Amino acid sequence: MSAEPATPMSVANGARARARRAGRVASLAVVVFAILLPLIPPFSDQAYQRWLIGAAFMAAMAVAFDFTAGYINIVNFGFAAFVGVGAYTSGLLAANLGISPWIGMFVGAVAAGFVGLLTGMLTLRLRGIYAAVMTWFVGLALLGLARNLTEITRGSLGLNVPLLLETSDNLPYYYVILGMLLVTITALTIVIRSDIGLAFRAIGQNLQAARASGINPTRFLVVNFTLSCAFAGWLGGFYAHYYGILTPDIMLTSHTVEVLAVAYIGGRGSLWGPAIIAFPLTIAVEILRTQFANLPGLHLVLYGLLLIIVMIFAPGGFAGGVRKLGARLETRWAAKEVTAA
Amino acid sequence: MTTATNLRAVPFARRFMSFTWVVIGIFVVAMIASAFLKPSILVDTLITGGMWALMAGGLALVFGVMNLPNFAHGEFFMIGSLVAITVLRPIQAALRADPENTALKVLGPFPGMIVAVAVGFVAGVLLEVVLFRALRRRSSEQWMMNTFLLTAGVSVILINGNRLLFGNDFQGIRAYWDVPPIEILGVGVSVDRGMVFVIAMITIAVFAVFLQRTRTGRAMRAVAQDETGAQMAGIDLNRVFMLTMGLSCALAALAGAALLFMYPSYPNVGIQPLYLAWFVVILAGLGNVQGAIIGAFIVSFLQTLTVYYIGIGWVDVLPTVVIILILLFKPSGLFGSEVKGVWEQ
Repeated sequence: MSAEPATPMSVANGARARARRAGRVASLAVVVFAILLPLIPPFSDQAYQRWLIGAAFMAAMAVAFDFTAGYINIVNFGFAAFVGVGAYTSGLLAANLGISPWIGMFVGAVAAGFVGLLTGMLTLRLRGIYAAVMTWFVGLALLGLARNLTEITRGSLGLNVPLLLETSDNLPYYYVILGMLLVTITALTIVIRSDIGLAFRAIGQNLQAARASGINPTRFLVVNFTLSCAFAGWLGGFYAHYYGILTPDIMLTSHTVEVLAVAYIGGRGSLWGPAIIAFPLTIAVEILRTQFANLPGLHLVLYGLLLIIVMIFAPGGFAGGVRKLGARLETRWAAKEVTAA
Repeated sequence: MTTATNLRAVPFARRFMSFTWVVIGIFVVAMIASAFLKPSILVDTLITGGMWALMAGGLALVFGVMNLPNFAHGEFFMIGSLVAITVLRPIQAALRADPENTALKVLGPFPGMIVAVAVGFVAGVLLEVVLFRALRRRSSEQWMMNTFLLTAGVSVILINGNRLLFGNDFQGIRAYWDVPPIEILGVGVSVDRGMVFVIAMITIAVFAVFLQRTRTGRAMRAVAQDETGAQMAGIDLNRVFMLTMGLSCALAALAGAALLFMYPSYPNVGIQPLYLAWFVVILAGLGNVQGAIIGAFIVSFLQTLTVYYIGIGWVDVLPTVVIILILLFKPSGLFGSEVKGVWEQ
């Protein structure tokens, strides 16, 4: 096509390639920025680095959440419970059997993935709201187990868990969780760009049409759900070995709602939107929390309000806005090329 | 695997049409048996079941009429208990100043409940007018999932708004009516619990008559059956949605106010009633109001059994497991129709 004179088609392709290149440069810039961020003065402080760790952790969870919510259109209301399954598995292995947290985290991922597989097989036969509510029930049951099996989990007293690193410096932890975030987003993006990902999107958009074109929806839904839960469990392992103490409260539905809010504000069905928006949001929330320590819950009101505003007025979220901007640039570049030709 | 299960799905469902009645039969027999073994189980079941019926009935109504899975339903329970305690405080003070005032002693608890119902109704109407109408105007695509998430946001705002404005304390009362318990089936039942049951039964009866007999109730059921058809018959959808939301929230607020002596008012008080109501509604089949009322007693029975024989900590775990097992056999719920359309949204 390149040998031919400029047709509207080739101009559009050229502009699209340019936009894609711009996107790649932008994402590289974002990654570099995320790596350098804890070295830049306000964030080089330990307390601020704690915020950044919280932000990266939230970002990774929102990405794993968006993998189901944004693509197969299943909202996992028990998400926090799966994070908790991974955290408890890894934490208990390390605390009782002395297994290295680095291995425990992966065992935790397998455990959470397995629970996710069972839940998925149980709930994903029917879609939408039913699956959301059933995953919520499973999450509540898991929370109840963590609270009641006090001989194992020590319940609300809290389980003391060995730390991941032998340092109390926050900077190495930040790079660990940033690495985990990048692995999560890369792995899930690869899945989404593959044929399996195509099937996910087909199912998410129109279940009947996907079924008619020979896709077995349930199998794909379960695969997607299991994968998302496994990543949730893996991230839970980091949580356990970073904070060093585990209570059943990490499984609360309110944490799921926080992750959900971040994922939707970031823009569902993009993976990178939630990952990026998690940083400014978490930092804003932490500022609110420290500035208005006498007003507990203010930051959650902010989450709720933003979620509602996004749901009603900007369903695409942050990623949707960026995409719209990209499309506008693309048409402008295409127009420029046409005039140049 | 696909085609095989799909082909088998229909006869399987037919074969288990009676599954509903088997399950209900088991529960009825178990309840009667429990009445002989330990009458207090039956009494507890009926008392809490009545209130969960109010909660779940409202939730099912909103789902049936507006296709709206309300995740903020528990927060209207919270509003109810908050309003009730606020109204009750001055009345209690007046009673302390004049302990011999019989009228105040007997009727004192009612103003709080009535105001709670009114506030719940207004809050529900506001929610519909401010949020759902705005969303409906913008897009009806994926309405059900969007409203579920929207109400999740509302729930977070209401819980934390309560915490910000009224603090994180438990505000409860020991009893509405401070009199010795009465004896039913050889079990001492406090007057409060008896009254709660009476209030629940009267409300359910009024609610049923309203839905079956009045013009507005019929309009609601018409909208639940077929929105477009109802609109063509000249029913004002906006008015019906407003009333439905208001009514549902008023019922939840009434439950919160009436159960103040069991559930003291505090920001998170609505969470347990919320998921219990959802247990009931999913068990009964989404959108089925009568089914929800029966389902409420089943869930309440499971809860009571758990508390008596296993321990109060397991009260969420065991009923969940039983409900999931039942749903394995009948995914659309005990009284759910076999029409799949509503699930596919």
